[in-house]
Amino acid sequence: MKEWISKIGKKGKVTNNDKLEATTSQDTTGQFTDNFILNLEMVKQEIGHNWDVHFREFNLGRTGIRSIIIFVDGLSDKDLIDKHIMPSLMVDFSAEYKQDLPYLKGGISKEFIKNEVLSISEVEEVRSIKEFTSKVLTGSTALIMDGSLNALILGTTKLKTRTIEEPVSEALVRGPRVGFTESLSDNTSFLRGSGEIENLSLVKFQVGKRSKKDLVVAYIKDIVDPELVQEVENRIKKIDMDSVPESGYVEQLIEDNYLSPFPQVQNTERPDRVIAALMEGRVAILLDGTPFALIAPVTLSMMLQSPEDYYERWIPGTFIRMLRYLAAILALFTPSLYIAFISFHSGMIPTKLAISIIGTRSGVPFPALIEALFMEISIEILREAGLRLPKPIGPAMGIVGGLIIGEAAVQAGIVSPVLVIVVALTAISSFSIPQYSAGFTIRILRFPAMLCAATFGLYGVILFFLFMASHLVKLKSFGVPFLSPAVPYRLSEWKDLMVRMPLMMMKRRPKMMHTKNPIRKG
Amino acid sequence: MILSPKDKITTPQAAVIVINFILGTGLLTLPRSSTEKVHTPDVWISVILGGAIAIIAGVIMVKLSQQFPEKTFYQYINDIVGKWVGRLLSLVVICYFLTTSGFQLRAMAEVIKYLLLEGTPTWAIIMIFMWVSLYLIIGGINPIARLFEIILPLTVILFLVVTFMSIKIFEIDNLRPVLGEGIIPVLKGVKTTALAFSGPEIMLLLLPFMNQPKKAVKALIVGVSIPLIFYVITVVMVIGALSVDGVVMRTWPTLDLIRSFEISGLIFERFESLLLVVWIMQIFATFTITYYAAALGLAQLSKKSIHPFMFGLLPILYIIAMIPRNINDLFKQGDFVGNMALFLFGLLPLLLLIISRIKGGKYETNT
Repeated sequence: MKEWISKIGKKGKVTNNDKLEATTSQDTTGQFTDNFILNLEMVKQEIGHNWDVHFREFNLGRTGIRSIIIFVDGLSDKDLIDKHIMPSLMVDFSAEYKQDLPYLKGGISKEFIKNEVLSISEVEEVRSIKEFTSKVLTGSTALIMDGSLNALILGTTKLKTRTIEEPVSEALVRGPRVGFTESLSDNTSFLRGSGEIENLSLVKFQVGKRSKKDLVVAYIKDIVDPELVQEVENRIKKIDMDSVPESGYVEQLIEDNYLSPFPQVQNTERPDRVIAALMEGRVAILLDGTPFALIAPVTLSMMLQSPEDYYERWIPGTFIRMLRYLAAILALFTPSLYIAFISFHSGMIPTKLAISIIGTRSGVPFPALIEALFMEISIEILREAGLRLPKPIGPAMGIVGGLIIGEAAVQAGIVSPVLVIVVALTAISSFSIPQYSAGFTIRILRFPAMLCAATFGLYGVILFFLFMASHLVKLKSFGVPFLSPAVPYRLSEWKDLMVRMPLMMMKRRPKMMHTKNPIRKG
Repeated sequence: MILSPKDKITTPQAAVIVINFILGTGLLTLPRSSTEKVHTPDVWISVILGGAIAIIAGVIMVKLSQQFPEKTFYQYINDIVGKWVGRLLSLVVICYFLTTSGFQLRAMAEVIKYLLLEGTPTWAIIMIFMWVSLYLIIGGINPIARLFEIILPLTVILFLVVTFMSIKIFEIDNLRPVLGEGIIPVLKGVKTTALAFSGPEIMLLLLPFMNQPKKAVKALIVGVSIPLIFYVITVVMVIGALSVDGVVMRTWPTLDLIRSFEISGLIFERFESLLLVVWIMQIFATFTITYYAAALGLAQLSKKSIHPFMFGLLPILYIIAMIPRNINDLFKQGDFVGNMALFLFGLLPLLLLIISRIKGGKYETNT
């Protein structure tokens, strides 16, 4: 208090404790000075040319102190500014000011404004112009007062968010209908709000050199392996990009092996999935501006699991899960086995079947590989086109395309009907994989498998499998072997691998996560 | 956990490596090669005896290695017999591993050409196989162990399915009489059957990679017992179905057994494709581990990085695999490899164990 008392008489200025600071700090370029006009000039030079930046000059509390608030139209909550900030600043508070302190003609301390006048929750002081502009441009409102060395930054950010919707890419029959949105604070509130989680840590980072974005690393402090958190944070800090528009960028920049066709970080729109992962000792990464959260580390088995496996009773859960494994194998190997058996080992399929297949293929002018490639690529194009088309005509196009490709191609004698069955089976199987990106991997991998089959028959398919397996056993996601717990054998964890045993049998968290607290509570 | 990837394998992984090493060409050839020697239906007794011998030899090798749990055979042999003899013996062992893998490679190529790809040139079959293997071993012992863990359950399931389907043509009379001509013919076959169990020698190199070297004996016994069960099942089923005379006539009796029956109503009527899947994977395992063992040996002898040796061995392995002119030459090569193994891993470890025990206390601190 003494300091501002000693500064009596500075008419029309907010008194300043920062004066000493200002003189001691050598480098004052790019910082606010106590000259209001100069400050305003600097700010205007920095961001004044933007049409959406609004300047509103006024006198502080009928004292004649020149002040200005600066905000960005659309980003800042105008309602808040009009109803809370402006009225409280413009009302005559000199009376109140007089009550407990000696009246100072025109001298008002910054602390007074901050502590007694402004009735909003987030207030912060900044000194450098750079910080100032970055705050203003992200939606905060700045208050510059004549005589003050620091600008006050008022948290008025209001992002336009959409309503909570059911996740589009991960639909469930049973389970919460909540999906993440584009707003980071909404997303973290889903995590916090879904029941009180002990020791849930949400640590904030900034990514992007030019377009700065908030990124939150979430984990449960007394479960997660601290080394894992350290590693995740290190990798995030290493991200060196101008802008990070989507969590896919983060995913690609922190993954272990960018040459691998397998995704080594899981993305999800479902808060329940994230929480389940956190409970297993994994780390989640949420990025502002995208509804896709990332989960690391992941294993191959996670790609074939869905939260619904756990919500349903264990018998259907197990059945569905095994079905998915079967679907993955079918999607990967059916076309290549078809090629291998048709072009190399027709002696190995039952005679009757062989005769009927060869009978239907008699008019087909292409080798099995070309025939299969033709169909598989058409199906992929159809899938891609269906995605891009406007929603109302998408399904219609799908039906038309399917009819043309299936029926007409067979009638024209370009492909055999058996192949149509094979291709349809493959396509349906690949869509039954709950993770879209994992399904993609399998759909891509079946093309090299088909080429191997066309060159080396069954032998080629086996070698392709061995090659893929060799790749998978080497692959790690944040130090966790990608194929665990299948290999290295952890028999105690196989009850949640291909099958989903009753919940009460799953008393422990996955060992591969090296959790601090291996027993699941409750 | 993340920054220090320890290249250690668990005890089950060690056992799995031994199992996958042992199972290889034996699955297809053992019934014929052993029946040729024994000529009575008692081959299965020879197989059990052979397995027992393999276990004994394996235990000796493990005991030897346990005296130096931090070192591989290539490293500790110098301590026992001196630098020059040690280097020579290491080179011989490396040669053994190279010849074995070359043999596996060629045997695989021959079967593939016989059954699956009649027109494809041998070099193509061999090369693609070697490349996949090279890709795996660049990752070191840990990925190898993990891949073997994937192969093993597939092998067990498919193998059991296929063999038990041949129960339809199984005639118990073909296996009678038990010991009708006494024990002598059985003993004649023991050498052949024991050689089918070559594989425990990998324990000489595996011990320093194990996180619990003390459990090596357990790993070894499990590792030999499971192939023993497989081999007994194979021999019993093959002889039971094809009879002793039928087995001797055929080059690949196990495959002929599978080809000789059809079960209608299932997707496949003939199951040799499934057996081939198993068998190719097993050959891949055997080839990979011997390839790795040879590269490791060269790297440790020269004290250099292992990767150049892995690449450098590719052409050498190819040449070794292409040396036999025909399938008979190939089997001769197999016999040669077997005799080498008999000396290297039957006698030598025992000698070394005795020498190191006599030399005494110096290394005992390690055990």
